[in-house]
Amino acid sequence: MHRVRVLIVLLLALTSFNYKPTQYIDRQGQVSFFSYTTAEHIAANNNQVLSIIDISKNEIAISMLMKAFVFKKSLMRTHFNESYLESDLYPKATFKGQIVDFDASIIGHQTRMVKGTLTIKDVAKAFEIKTDIQNTNGKYLITGDFEIAVSDFNIKIPSIVAPNIAKVITTKFRFEYKPHEE
Amino acid sequence: MKNNNYLLIHLSLLLGCMVSAGAQDLLETLDKEYPTTPQYTSSTFKGTRISIGQSVENRKAGVLQLMALHRSWNLPNAGAQRFVADKWSSRLGFEYAITDRWTTGGGWTTLDDVYDGYLKYNLMRQYQGGWKQPVSVTLFQNISYKGNLRLPDGVSAFDERSAFTSQLLIARKFTPALSLQISPTVISRNQSALAEDPSLHFALGFGARYKLGGHVSLVSEYYYVANPLVSRTTFGAFALGVNWDVRFLLLQFQMTNTRRMVADGFILQTPNNFNTRDGNFVFGINAVFALHLKKN
Repeated sequence: MHRVRVLIVLLLALTSFNYKPTQYIDRQGQVSFFSYTTAEHIAANNNQVLSIIDISKNEIAISMLMKAFVFKKSLMRTHFNESYLESDLYPKATFKGQIVDFDASIIGHQTRMVKGTLTIKDVAKAFEIKTDIQNTNGKYLITGDFEIAVSDFNIKIPSIVAPNIAKVITTKFRFEYKPHEE
Repeated sequence: MKNNNYLLIHLSLLLGCMVSAGAQDLLETLDKEYPTTPQYTSSTFKGTRISIGQSVENRKAGVLQLMALHRSWNLPNAGAQRFVADKWSSRLGFEYAITDRWTTGGGWTTLDDVYDGYLKYNLMRQYQGGWKQPVSVTLFQNISYKGNLRLPDGVSAFDERSAFTSQLLIARKFTPALSLQISPTVISRNQSALAEDPSLHFALGFGARYKLGGHVSLVSEYYYVANPLVSRTTFGAFALGVNWDVRFLLLQFQMTNTRRMVADGFILQTPNNFNTRDGNFVFGINAVFALHLKKN
């Protein structure tokens, strides 16, 4: 009798391992940003961005280390972390949101809005970002771009370099999700 | 039977845990995905010099720094009213980062026609947070050659004109704003003609940086010499300054008591204490411009 009960519980435990994955993760996501001014073009790229989606709740989360952004000129990275983003105090930037009307079962492309909160330097701001989602055999590819106003995130730029740094930074992202093994 | 019941309780607990694990916040899930390898600290100091002396910092590979250092001071009782500009000395120099850890540099100083060359090697880098690898350590080796030294007839040996300075630079970034450095130093020189002066000197440097804002920091340095020159009175070099940097330019302003810009010079040959009397007060500016010869 007891053995049967044990067996039932064991089976229950096993089936919970077997259900279809609802979480998909990318550990090497790419985020890059561009600052275009007549004086100078600045570009930086981070290819160690973490992102996860939960297709049962249509949720998305992104987390990245600011120190992982690489610039063409090494001193720019130093200043980015030391003078502007203060990465020792605020090491991460995060995004958390919902993919509106996302249907995970559609194979191929779908264009969806992502509504959520971007947090940089402890300042949270609501964003709505148009994204392209591609489903290929249980893998999801999400790409898109949006614009960030530097002044929204408590980033101070001295007037002497104001001509070299754009007020609005173009940001691009690319995530390739695979099932998240617990 | 009792054992079986315990097993049941355990299993149901396990099941419960798994269900709740699925319900946790996605950002918390991501936090656990970060690699656990330790991160190095960056920018213990912003410049390769704290103010007058070397810091643990090196530039990244392929960066060439052009440096113009300038010191000016008054002549005591000169009778004129020139604001800390009776006399001056300048050093023109360069620094090139061969790799992220190796830097080489050199320069020429107007005062005493001093040529100098050096190597810097970053031995160890501090890990962020905790005390696992608590400090950054850089080795500094300098050679200086005094061109205008008057030597007795027949003596013009390289040995008599040169001085060798070895430093172990040890620094820790305690907080994002505060970094401290301690620098045990050995100087070997035969420039003094007097036998009473030691040819090997031991010194200890102290340096500090406090960040006032994104681009401005307050810096100070002091060098203690355990066995100074005997033939004349010397004082420990001291500097209090402000560093300001933007883009590829770093400006270092300092109030100091030393007129010299090469390690053996300012550590051993500072003939006056730090005060505002004419001749003692020295005002200095270092202008450092970085060129990226190699881009990522």
